Amino acid sequence: MINPSGRRPSRLSPGRIGLYAFLVISALFFLAPLYVMLTTSLKPMSEIRLGNILALPESPSLAAWQTAWSSACTGLRCQGISVGFWNSVRILIPSVIVSITVGAVTGYAMSFWRPRGAKLLFAALMVVAFIPYQVFIYPLVRIFSQAGIANSLAGIVLVHTIFGLPTMTLLFRNHFAGLPVELFRAARVDGAGFWRIFWRIMLPMAVPIIVVAMILQVTGIWNDFILGLVFAGRENLPMTVQLNNIVNTTQGERTYNVDMAATLLTAIVPLAVYFISGRWFVRGIAAGAVKG
Amino acid sequence: MPARRRIGSRVSAQIALAPALLIALVMYCGTTGWTLWISLTSSRMLPNSVFVGTRQYDVLAVNDRWLASITNIATFGVLFMIAALAIGFLLAALIDQKIRAESLLRSVFLYPFSMSFIVTGLAWRWMLDPTLGIEKLLHDMGFASAHFDWIIRPERVIYTLVIAAVWHAAGLVMAIMLAGLRGVDREIWSAARIDGLPTWRVLVFIVIPMMRGSFATAFVLLATSVVRLYDLSVSMTNGGPGISSEVPAKFVMDFLFERGNLGLATAAATTMLVAIIAVVAPWYYWQTRQTRGAAA
Amino acid sequence: MIRKASLAACVATLCAMSAGAQAQNRAEVIHWWTSAGESAALKVYADAFNAAGGMWVDTAIAGGANARAAAINRTVGGDPPTAMQFNTGKQFDDLVENDLLSNVDATAKAENWPAVFPPAIVNAVTRQGHAYAVPVNIHGQNWFFFSTAALAKAGAEQPTNWTELFVALDKLKAAGLVPLAFSSQKTWERGLFSATLAGAGGGDMFIRFWGKRDVALVKSPEFRHVVDTFRRLRPYTDAGATTRNWNDATAMVIQGKAGMQVMGDWAKGEFTAAGQVPGRDYGCAVLSDRGVGYVLGGDVIAFPKTKNADAAKAQLLLQKVLTDPATQVAFSIKKGSIPARLDADGSTLDLCGRKAQAWVRDPAAQVPATELLSPPAVTGAIEDLVSQFWNDANMTPEMFVSKVAAVFQQSF
Repeated sequence: MINPSGRRPSRLSPGRIGLYAFLVISALFFLAPLYVMLTTSLKPMSEIRLGNILALPESPSLAAWQTAWSSACTGLRCQGISVGFWNSVRILIPSVIVSITVGAVTGYAMSFWRPRGAKLLFAALMVVAFIPYQVFIYPLVRIFSQAGIANSLAGIVLVHTIFGLPTMTLLFRNHFAGLPVELFRAARVDGAGFWRIFWRIMLPMAVPIIVVAMILQVTGIWNDFILGLVFAGRENLPMTVQLNNIVNTTQGERTYNVDMAATLLTAIVPLAVYFISGRWFVRGIAAGAVKG
Repeated sequence: MPARRRIGSRVSAQIALAPALLIALVMYCGTTGWTLWISLTSSRMLPNSVFVGTRQYDVLAVNDRWLASITNIATFGVLFMIAALAIGFLLAALIDQKIRAESLLRSVFLYPFSMSFIVTGLAWRWMLDPTLGIEKLLHDMGFASAHFDWIIRPERVIYTLVIAAVWHAAGLVMAIMLAGLRGVDREIWSAARIDGLPTWRVLVFIVIPMMRGSFATAFVLLATSVVRLYDLSVSMTNGGPGISSEVPAKFVMDFLFERGNLGLATAAATTMLVAIIAVVAPWYYWQTRQTRGAAA
Repeated sequence: MIRKASLAACVATLCAMSAGAQAQNRAEVIHWWTSAGESAALKVYADAFNAAGGMWVDTAIAGGANARAAAINRTVGGDPPTAMQFNTGKQFDDLVENDLLSNVDATAKAENWPAVFPPAIVNAVTRQGHAYAVPVNIHGQNWFFFSTAALAKAGAEQPTNWTELFVALDKLKAAGLVPLAFSSQKTWERGLFSATLAGAGGGDMFIRFWGKRDVALVKSPEFRHVVDTFRRLRPYTDAGATTRNWNDATAMVIQGKAGMQVMGDWAKGEFTAAGQVPGRDYGCAVLSDRGVGYVLGGDVIAFPKTKNADAAKAQLLLQKVLTDPATQVAFSIKKGSIPARLDADGSTLDLCGRKAQAWVRDPAAQVPATELLSPPAVTGAIEDLVSQFWNDANMTPEMFVSKVAAVFQQSF
């Protein structure tokens, strides 16, 4: 038997050190604003007004967080951003599911099947993706009110689907277009139809891109303000409306610590989604290489 | 294969496309047509039907703020896209190298994307403010002549927007690139190692070309966010100093709501649309020619 | 099971009945008063309305443009609120033109508005002989707030006109303080320009500029003097002005780091929150070389047309509550404004408020604000030019004047 001999290979080569150094420095750059926001949220306004933004709080306190969540004034109501939390959730879940589903199916249909109108549709989607969506608010309001869905949950879900369609379709179409076409042909030869191929083969292979789509949609829909304000109806106003009321007062006092705390609180849901969905990145393509 | 199944699948495909087609037709085409129509009227806060021909476009063509917006977005766009793509890819490539604490690092790079700019813009504003942030820090540390006051200099302020925007988006690019990288067959890496090729060579000459889809996706996502850039300009500099960091989407928004000038706002939006079509059309033809070639 | 069902039905009916009774005077109000101080002020009106038998439903949306956009989209979408906030002036012109607002003539007649509101305000809410909105307060937009401590440190006197102003600014600069605390955002740049126009140019010039868009005026040497004065102010601000919010500039005055700020009277809230008292810790004045030149704006509540008879009743009740003199005073004290009604008892207002009330009662002392004279589209176009001129040293006064003239020659 041959025994291993010689020095055990060092795992820390200069290249490796350089790698970690770069990553750590980048991490510091990325974390800097978070540091500012966190420290500001833990300081009282008197300390903030002195203007030393990079200093640690003298006596850190969660008072601003408490206020932001449950007692900040957002109009007559002084109940913080917790008021709209469940509204945001109720808007988020159906909107994400519907917009990703429609995008995935459309992207899939476009990439493998190419039915009539697909190319034109793709072009139209690409162009519309670039227009500031606020321009469309007024005509959509008129259309929705004729259709009777203005100021409703269905309305806001539809709006998020409409505005998410271009990016979602692009994401999935590009992803499917990059998959080996033999996979598709083999499945057709086996007799599988449109939906079967989608469900059994393509969707499992699209897990990483579904994660990316979720990141995009969860962030966009959770942080959306103006669409929720205009289309969701008074009973369904999302959390961002309260956040806007706290942060954007024009002529009133600005409480920066509460503003920062409120923003960080609002970011928790998308962050949780990123964190949980991170696992799927590790898995990569579930189905693996081309069969057979 | 039974012909009925084949036809059935084609119909399914058509049906699957129906929602998107409906949305595109009614919502996109309809509202775009409406936008174009309103830009030919004298609408102020509410739409009216007073036709004024190209008057709004004439006003737009000599509007200093609009012209500045276009120059600014061009500069911003080029710098931002190059930086975000490069940094995002680099981060993805490095993280893919079996790093410890990969999860943590991924979260650190991705978290900026989760925050809306309304308040993170303020944090950046403070950090870049010469009297509050980095310049003050450098002065306090003893570098009395150090300067980092880009945010108050009209000719430099657009770079500050690039910095904040890259901070925001690089994580997302990294995520897309990681998804693409992880889709590359692991055998390629092992084969390359056996052949003795250095990692970076494999990356640049073999893997990147295989990740064309990811780059295309990232490119389009970044491009759409460039053209629609609004929140960042408002919360960091509010278009200032003066009009030196104004951007087209902010122009449209301000004139749409605050300034009650639907005619001018829709004219600006239509101009953006035409410019986009002018750029996207060639790319689109190139794309369809490519896929047609592949399908053949 | 049957008993449960009938109990449930009973409860449901009771609920419906009480909701029905309340729904009779249910008023949903869209506004942008969202800070703690503004909420406290609004609560005065809401409590008064609820006490009078109404049910105030609050829809607050920060950012005037956001609130107005939401209100207008709701109205256009067929689900109008009962009432909506606007600034006094031309913001709701389009709604009147499109026949989307109910007139408030009944309340106006009952309360005899021409006698109880200043003429400028009455004109601002009247279109073609009909009144369309209820004035709820008056805000002065061109106050100078002085830090007593800073002035003392610089050995400067509180100025009473624009010549003395520059003397004081020079002394403050020599003492190493920031002479003029400023927030260099477009709204405040335009505000400073308007203050200069009213102060160094006078009320008549202000009206000719914003109201009549007089091109001859713009090309005159008198206007040029105003432009030059405006430019003269810039070196007295500091580098941090570009990134600062208005209330941070007020903080500089409060802490004695800066000598003065030009701001609307809502800045008083910051002073009060810091425990400062006008006359003692800070001074407030309106500076002008011609008369007083108090630039007068404010807020109004407008009422979208509704087919719902209950909503219409609620609107009438709300109008009555909003015009009550004592309620207006209580609201204004918390808001930092002054009541719109001339016959309101201003003895409980602070020093600055009492000064302002005297000016509001004297038509010669006041100037209608930009919002009352100029549609938002024009104001916006000029605002961009002013901001450019303030920030770009390469833009000469001649260029500024010619661009302003070009804007005035456009039709809007």
